[in-house]
Amino acid sequence: MNAHQPVTIVMIEDDEGHARLIEKNIRRAGISNDIKHFMDGTSALAHLYEAPDGPALNGPALILLDLNLPDMSGTDILQKIKADGNPLRRTPVIVLTTTDDKVEIQRCYDLGANVYITKPVDYESFATAIRQLGLFLAVIQVPDIELEA
Amino acid sequence: MARGWTIPLLRSERSVSRFLMACMALGFIALIGSAGTAGWFVMRAQEHATWVEHTYEVERRISTLRVLIERLEVARRGYLLSHRQQTKQTFLATVQDELPLVADLRRLTADNAAQQHNLDRFQALAIEHFQVLSRSMVLADKAPELATAIFTHDQSLGITRDLRAVTAAMLEEENKLLEGRIEAQRDAVRILFYALAFAGALAVATAIFSMMVLRRYTRSLVESRDEVLQLADELEDRVDERTRDLSRANEEIQRFAYIVSHDLRSPLVNVMGFTGELEAATKPLAALVDKVEAEAPQLLDQDAALAAREDLPESIGFIRTSTQKMDRLINAILRLSREGRRVLTPERIDLAPLADAIVASLQHRLDEIGAEITVQRVMPPVVADRLAVEQMISNLVENAVKYLKPGVPGRIAISAVNERGRVDIAIADNGRGIDPRDHDRIFDLFRRSGTQDQPGEGIGLAHVRALAYRLGGFVDCKSALGEGATFTLSLPVQPTIQG
Repeated sequence: MNAHQPVTIVMIEDDEGHARLIEKNIRRAGISNDIKHFMDGTSALAHLYEAPDGPALNGPALILLDLNLPDMSGTDILQKIKADGNPLRRTPVIVLTTTDDKVEIQRCYDLGANVYITKPVDYESFATAIRQLGLFLAVIQVPDIELEA
Repeated sequence: MARGWTIPLLRSERSVSRFLMACMALGFIALIGSAGTAGWFVMRAQEHATWVEHTYEVERRISTLRVLIERLEVARRGYLLSHRQQTKQTFLATVQDELPLVADLRRLTADNAAQQHNLDRFQALAIEHFQVLSRSMVLADKAPELATAIFTHDQSLGITRDLRAVTAAMLEEENKLLEGRIEAQRDAVRILFYALAFAGALAVATAIFSMMVLRRYTRSLVESRDEVLQLADELEDRVDERTRDLSRANEEIQRFAYIVSHDLRSPLVNVMGFTGELEAATKPLAALVDKVEAEAPQLLDQDAALAAREDLPESIGFIRTSTQKMDRLINAILRLSREGRRVLTPERIDLAPLADAIVASLQHRLDEIGAEITVQRVMPPVVADRLAVEQMISNLVENAVKYLKPGVPGRIAISAVNERGRVDIAIADNGRGIDPRDHDRIFDLFRRSGTQDQPGEGIGLAHVRALAYRLGGFVDCKSALGEGATFTLSLPVQPTIQG
């Protein structure tokens, strides 16, 4: 994915089953990048900004974001990441959620989401969608994080 | 007219009108009373005038009588002195005049005993007077030289004096009568005055009183009108508040349905996903069983073979169809709740082109099954949300097409009538009909009727009914098994519910 440094995939998803299915299908698409899974917004934000191996301090990342989280709304996280002057603002965010509400989709793009994908209930479609996302991840160029200093 | 006792009169409109009627009646009584009094007075005055005239008549005759007596006296004296025949004739004529006058007086004073008595006396004196005078005149004819002596000595002077006294008494009597009559007339005038004054006062009092009552009544009317207006305002506020509460509750339910259906989808993704994983895992297992059976049949357990080949695929199949159905149901709830959240925009809708468009969208299927839809050419317009009306009619027409009787060419008619501020849109078919027992049930969510040979979740009619309610209308079904069905969608011509 990136020539000089491996891109970490940060998956923020409160449903373990979903996370497992997503991971399985990404792997099936031949993506071997490290996937870090967080079940709630707080720990995910802590990792993004503070962990020594987190994206803010170390290396490029790609974020898979679910909107329905137990402690905060996914759009809050999106808003934080995409805010002006944030070191992570150029990090691609792929919203992957069950909500297919038009208003919600518009809101996410307005906030700076790069891709919005609705999880199909039908498993074949779901698997296909994730595998295609994997193919997409294989060719996507992720910018390096600009460290503030 | 203290406030204390006029207020109870004002309690009700009826008591006020009763009171005013009483006032008016009192006023009329006063008027009739004064008119009666005036009439009585006029009659009294007329009677009085007659009597006064009568008195004057009597008095005039008495005066004439007095003049005649004097003239008799004068005529005799003249005759005694001159012996002229002419004077004698005058004397006789005067006596002649006296008789009818006395007769008249007798007639006029027939009701008065005192005057009759006076007249009796007068008549006696007059006869005596005549006899004395005529005797003296006869004597003078015989002995003219005695005339002076006769004149000096006979009693005629005394009789004349008596006659004067009697007639004076008669005049006195008449004057007394006249005075009494004038007094009576004065009394009548006084009575008239009092009666009129009383009636006038009564009328004025009634007028003032009823005016005050009317004013107070009007004031209380104005007050109660203000009160009613205020109440109406309050009521409007309360209705607004209730409407706000209701729409808030409605929103809450919609949001609830929305959130629930979303949250239900999330686990469903897992069920479906891992079922897929299971299915995928079954394949290598089945392959392994096949391989074992081929290469080392003694290792193969009958149960394991059955599980891998039949039990697992069967269970997975059931899980799959159930979850698929569940997914469809959740999607239906989601769609209904989304429809409930949509903002309605009422606009004038021409129903015929709208129905035509629906028919056109179904044309392919109609050609396939040989059915026909007729659209009434002139339909009354309706003001409502276009999308909602389109969805309702479309759902009903699709249902009609879906449940036609096999082997009978389908005939469906779309029509509409305006009835008392509502537009009734009817979709009638000659299809398989609906058992009357199910007429209420079919409008419930996920409920269906008759043979389940058509795809569907039992959502369409529930959706139609929810939309109809939102537009302030309702939907109704008339049908019998095998007789076709008519669904009537009744909408207000103008929207009654906003939002």
